[in-house]
Amino acid sequence: MVPALAVAAVIGVTLFIGLRGVAAMRTTSDFLVASRRVTPLLNAGAVSGEYLSAASFLGVAGLMLKDGMGALWYPVGFTAGYILMLVLVAAPMRRSGALTVPDFAEARLASPPLRKLAAVVVLVIGALYLVPQFRTAGLVLTVVSGTPYWFGVTVAGAAVAATLALGGMRAATYVQAFQFVLKLLLFIIPAVWLLATVGEDVRHRALNPEEFTHFERDTTVTFRVDATLEPGGFVPAGTRMEFPAGAQVPHVVGSTPPGGEEWQLPLLDFGHSGYPLLGTLAVLVATSLGTMGLPHVIMRFHTSPDGRAARRTAAITVGLLGVFYLFPGIYGVLGRVLVPHLYLSGATDTAVVAMPLQVDSGWRGTLFTTLLTAGAFAAFLATSLGLLLAVSGAIAHDLSPGGLGRLRVTVLAAAAVVVVLALFAAHLDAGLLVTWGFTVAASTFSPLLVLGIWWPRLTAPGAICGVAAGLLSSSGAIAVTLFGPPLPGVLAILVTQPAMWTVPLAAVTMVLVSLRGRPPAWAMTAMLRLHLDEAREPMFQPRRGNRSAWSSRRWWTVRRMLRRSGR
Amino acid sequence: MAKRVAVMSPQTRLARSRRRLRGRWRMPRLDPDDAERALRNYRLQRRRGVAALVLIFAMLLGLPLLLRVAPGLTDVRLLGIPVSWLVLAVLPYPLMSWLAGWQLRRAERVEDGTGHGDGAR
Repeated sequence: MVPALAVAAVIGVTLFIGLRGVAAMRTTSDFLVASRRVTPLLNAGAVSGEYLSAASFLGVAGLMLKDGMGALWYPVGFTAGYILMLVLVAAPMRRSGALTVPDFAEARLASPPLRKLAAVVVLVIGALYLVPQFRTAGLVLTVVSGTPYWFGVTVAGAAVAATLALGGMRAATYVQAFQFVLKLLLFIIPAVWLLATVGEDVRHRALNPEEFTHFERDTTVTFRVDATLEPGGFVPAGTRMEFPAGAQVPHVVGSTPPGGEEWQLPLLDFGHSGYPLLGTLAVLVATSLGTMGLPHVIMRFHTSPDGRAARRTAAITVGLLGVFYLFPGIYGVLGRVLVPHLYLSGATDTAVVAMPLQVDSGWRGTLFTTLLTAGAFAAFLATSLGLLLAVSGAIAHDLSPGGLGRLRVTVLAAAAVVVVLALFAAHLDAGLLVTWGFTVAASTFSPLLVLGIWWPRLTAPGAICGVAAGLLSSSGAIAVTLFGPPLPGVLAILVTQPAMWTVPLAAVTMVLVSLRGRPPAWAMTAMLRLHLDEAREPMFQPRRGNRSAWSSRRWWTVRRMLRRSGR
Repeated sequence: MAKRVAVMSPQTRLARSRRRLRGRWRMPRLDPDDAERALRNYRLQRRRGVAALVLIFAMLLGLPLLLRVAPGLTDVRLLGIPVSWLVLAVLPYPLMSWLAGWQLRRAERVEDGTGHGDGAR
């Protein structure tokens, strides 16, 4: 019950800061000016604060428990994404003045249809990215308060929607930066406490894994998902089973028992297909390229005063995420010793919050459970608020323009849809859910951004065809995974983790279709504008009624020069 | 006194104010000087970016490959921790932080050079 109160406190504080904290800033100066003074360090804190989701806070350690050491490749990909961002996207994106990919499409290619298509992609990515967040939040609420899963998901959805509709929309940079520090502390302090408290024996066993074969103490397992046990047969979701100390652990068909030889493999072998290298690379491609296209991440770079600061922000973010991601591994290896039975119940996402009470059943255990729950919920709130607003913005302004009231209604409707989707996602593999959002972003927006910024010959039809090809192929692969028959071997990896082929497909489509057409005369100028550093950035020039001879002459000088210099 | 503007997060500002740009719109133009400078930036940044991309992809490909071809790393221990765990859970982060800092300095040096072609070192 106490941890449930901590969740209420986190929501309350977020609401309070959203409503009061930012309002206090209004008296000092224009928020726009204030935001231009945001230093790269503070902004990197904000970027990391928004990026570290429930999937990072709880999911990675849970995946480790479930899939083995290889799950630690996910955070490597999450972090590497910011290096790609630094090299390819950050500064030019900021200099384009666009906040989202639909905006960028308009600024670079001036194509309304592409803008609508990009808005649809934002919706797909948003839904795929939000579902695992809601699922994790639901599972955690279930564990700390003992309520059913549907109740947890609904409460989480209601909390996000209410926070957003009531005033969280004001939440500004420093709230997010504060959130990063909060999450970091709430993650590191319990980890250190756990390491210090568990004792020599547990530490030794954490470093020398053995297969989980016998229960060490009386254990009650509540199955969250359907499972087939060996021995034991089919067990429907919701079943409670008691295992006495010393009893043999049944094997769950289709999963890896924690601690065994396969579990220790430091690569991701999906479904024991026998191609761990391919599986690992598929995840790395999806997560690193996908980071570039996540709607809530791109938006945050706009708070930087200029392109140079945006680039610095990306570089510092790599360091900040690196500090955070040193710790999921600690929770993972300790969790394998302390709560291995969660692999039976399918609730591995709750491993992090379940651990403190295994170590200390007194007030300390409760305290640290509370801290971790609060941190997880803060992570969930920060990411979901940003994404839900991005999704609502795409609906209410790109797809069917309307006013502010419409935006509020859209927020509620979008949250409701995600809650419904998350209700059916409880039985899905957390690792798949996490990478799907990234996969779609990687196969649609990342080729669009990279080619748009670095290739002057990209045309609007090329971009539309490429984005459509990436969207259809990646979402088709997801649909086959969800509803199709189980596939063997390499095929299974290519379908469940499709980024390896959908990203090249989208990029090649863009290039080929663009080469068949002709880019408009201003294409080179549109691209070069993105690479002009701020010192000489031209002021925006309003359209003139009749073009003066001078501006016409200047225009032709530019054309001549560009032609002379090749491309 | 600056004019008063409603305070909101960048997301909110975006979501509320995206109703311009209906109808025809023309690309703002560049001064000849600016165009030249942008072209130079573009070429230098492209060259330096490719080098950084080669490094990051070499790391993303190389580390899993290393763990694949040398499974014995799990048995080698440093301070009691299997080396393969360290390669996976610790090593990438300092590497990536260094790479980020390196690329950041190189990219900024391009913009610091004011003349033509002197940033190519």
